[in-house]
Amino acid sequence: MFQFNRGMHKSLSVGAVFFVLAFTQTTAWAEEILVPAAASLTDVLKEISNGYQAKSKHTVRFNFGPSNGLARQIEEGAPADLFLSADLTQMDNLDKKGRLEPGTRKNLLSNQLVIIVPADSKLAISSPKDLLKGEVKKIALAEPTSVPVGVYSSKYLSDEGLWDQVKPKVVPVQDVRATLASVESGNVEAGFVYKTDAAISKKVKIVYEVPIDKGPKIIYPIAIVKESKRKDAARDFLNYVQSPAAKETFKKYGFVILD
Amino acid sequence: MIFSFETWQITLFSISVGLASTLLILPFGIGLAWLFARKEWPLKSIVETVVLLPLVMPPVSTGLILLKIFGRRSPLGQWLYERGIEIVFNWKGVLIAMSVMSFPLLVRSVRTSFAEVNPRLEQIAATLGASPLRIFFVITIPLAYKGIVAGALLAFSRALGEFGATILLAGNIPGKTQTLSLAIYNYVQLGKDPEAYTLLGITVALAFLFVWCSEWLLRAERKN
Amino acid sequence: MRLNCRIPLATFELDVDASFDARVTAIFGPSGSGKTTLLDAVAGLRDIATGEIEIGGKTLFSSARKINLSPQRRNIGYVPQEGALFPHLSVRRNILFGAERIVHAAGAKGIGMEHVLEILEIAHLLARPVTKLSGGEAQRVALARAILSRPQLLLLDEPLAALDIGLKEKILPYLARVRDEFAIPMIYVTHNVTEVLTLADWVLVIRGGRLLAQGAPKETLTSGRAVREIPEEQLENVFTVTFVESDKAAGRSRVRLSSGAEIFVPYLAQADRPTFQIRVSADDILVGIQRPEGISAGNILPGTVRAIDMIDDQALVSVDAGEDFCVRLTTGAVTRLALDVGCPVYLIIKTRSFRLL
Repeated sequence: MFQFNRGMHKSLSVGAVFFVLAFTQTTAWAEEILVPAAASLTDVLKEISNGYQAKSKHTVRFNFGPSNGLARQIEEGAPADLFLSADLTQMDNLDKKGRLEPGTRKNLLSNQLVIIVPADSKLAISSPKDLLKGEVKKIALAEPTSVPVGVYSSKYLSDEGLWDQVKPKVVPVQDVRATLASVESGNVEAGFVYKTDAAISKKVKIVYEVPIDKGPKIIYPIAIVKESKRKDAARDFLNYVQSPAAKETFKKYGFVILD
Repeated sequence: MIFSFETWQITLFSISVGLASTLLILPFGIGLAWLFARKEWPLKSIVETVVLLPLVMPPVSTGLILLKIFGRRSPLGQWLYERGIEIVFNWKGVLIAMSVMSFPLLVRSVRTSFAEVNPRLEQIAATLGASPLRIFFVITIPLAYKGIVAGALLAFSRALGEFGATILLAGNIPGKTQTLSLAIYNYVQLGKDPEAYTLLGITVALAFLFVWCSEWLLRAERKN
Repeated sequence: MRLNCRIPLATFELDVDASFDARVTAIFGPSGSGKTTLLDAVAGLRDIATGEIEIGGKTLFSSARKINLSPQRRNIGYVPQEGALFPHLSVRRNILFGAERIVHAAGAKGIGMEHVLEILEIAHLLARPVTKLSGGEAQRVALARAILSRPQLLLLDEPLAALDIGLKEKILPYLARVRDEFAIPMIYVTHNVTEVLTLADWVLVIRGGRLLAQGAPKETLTSGRAVREIPEEQLENVFTVTFVESDKAAGRSRVRLSSGAEIFVPYLAQADRPTFQIRVSADDILVGIQRPEGISAGNILPGTVRAIDMIDDQALVSVDAGEDFCVRLTTGAVTRLALDVGCPVYLIIKTRSFRLL
């Protein structure tokens, strides 16, 4: 009995060590990263991450919302790993405060600003000046002083000399998707969103596309958060997001790739 | 603390719409409370439940229901829009959200007061020839007025504190539909802390006022 | 007045059918027998399943003819048990509350406010807040309020029930005054025999929602059936007497019954009215087959046995001593004395057994 036990013991322990090693080896690789990202990226990033997760051991969890709100959360210490903002202001802010991992910041995408109306709208709006008409009573806009798409839109209208007259009609909402929803509901006559947002909704129609040269320079930067505890996984996803496959997906949704 | 023009505008707006909403629901609340306290009628329990719902449901749920009812795509919303009446993203939306959310509080308080009025007194008044209207205004209301005032105070303070239903139905539009609660939320979102704290101070001061008033009422009640 | 109603209640059904025409009709019975419900029905405050209510030829309610006058239009004054004065109004406003009523032809008695205040002695209370009134004062104010609404009928629901004995004896005369002065028919609910005997001309005996008997108070209440309803202490004899003279040294006063016989009652400093009422409990009267000697009782009245009613362990003996006296003895006593109808007997009553009303 004694002898039998010792032999068993030995092989059991060796097997156990191998098992533990194998197990920890696997878990050492598989991470879940948290990626706060601009609301306009909701659909495209979900599709990209599906493709990523099919190939990688890592998983990606998103937090979509207005970039200014997300940046504030990161500033307050939210456990983010990778941040994709819809404008440079938010990224610059975090950069100044030293919250970004040096050398990881990159300008990824661009977009186009459009004016949308409810799909069944009968109003004749074909230019920003038409927003001044009496029939246009309410215009949905993401918070014009802080949310990227709102800042872009108000600056554009300001440059066109229309902001003072448009401002009284503005219904400020949380982010670009909220803007989209407002216009879909028909409770406002028009709204400003990105072209990529208008594309995914059948309940709105684009009445004006702000020309790229006249409109604001829309830039989506990406960066790894300095305090991230999963930088390897973050880097892995960052690379995937710049891969040809991902670029195709971005283009499919209407985003412009920056190089 | 920053007592800017905006601060006062927001405070004034909140108080005036809150007051308007309380005055609006007062006759309906009193009438319904009387029907609850004194009469039995078919569907009474269903109406009681519906009236109580805004008190029990999350305010945003009520707000969503109101949005569906008054939104431009609904029959009622369409009908109102054709007559130039806008509810969504409008101060009228604030009024309706405040009214709906504070209504059950008013009804409950007034109903309890009416129930505490000895029905015998009303009956005797009837035998003395008083019409039901006279009985209501000369006997019932004066004897129940403390509960009515308490209910109105409660409704008013609830209206001032309204957030969930208001933000859905009326939106958070500065200068147009922004109440104290909505403004505080907005300022925090935008990182404007000093402004937020100013409004916080105002809401605390108002809350103190309310509690003091209702305590004063209770004390007056105890003296009698 | 015609009263016919059937009202289903929680534990029994109130079913009464009676016609009567008296100044004061008493509804007599133990608590919970449906008396208040009956009053509520008459006043229109209560639904009646089936029935008819008629006063002075006018129909207030008829289930057959689908008539149901609202309380406002029935012109009936109601003095409920608790008085139910409006606590937020002054005495004055309470009293005048119903005075603006449209005067109903039959109810226009032309009663002035000063008159009522005088009779009920509440003029000095006019400005007082209702909450500062004593029990007796509150009852009188409630009475004044009902009277001043010029009703064609007054309903009183045990108005003296909430008062203690001393107060009861004080208020009872006021009720008698109201009866005499204002001539408004009254329906008076009570479970107190004295009140019935003092005030009523007619009585309806009700128990468990059923009308057991009706008739003149004295006869009805001393009938065998009624005795079962009356609690032990309450079988009373009530007499109207005239004051003769008082004897302080002897501690008594002399009064004369309507038959002319004179009896001694406890000393009265003065009588505020020449005629008043006295009462003596049927349990406080002794019967002797011989005239007794050397006893303390101040009244020894000769009389004849008129009727004997044996009920369980009690014997109700009716004796004609000029006035009709109701005496309650044990059945054993009746047997021992071999009492029978027609027997000459002596009624022995202590001076102090007589109580003034």
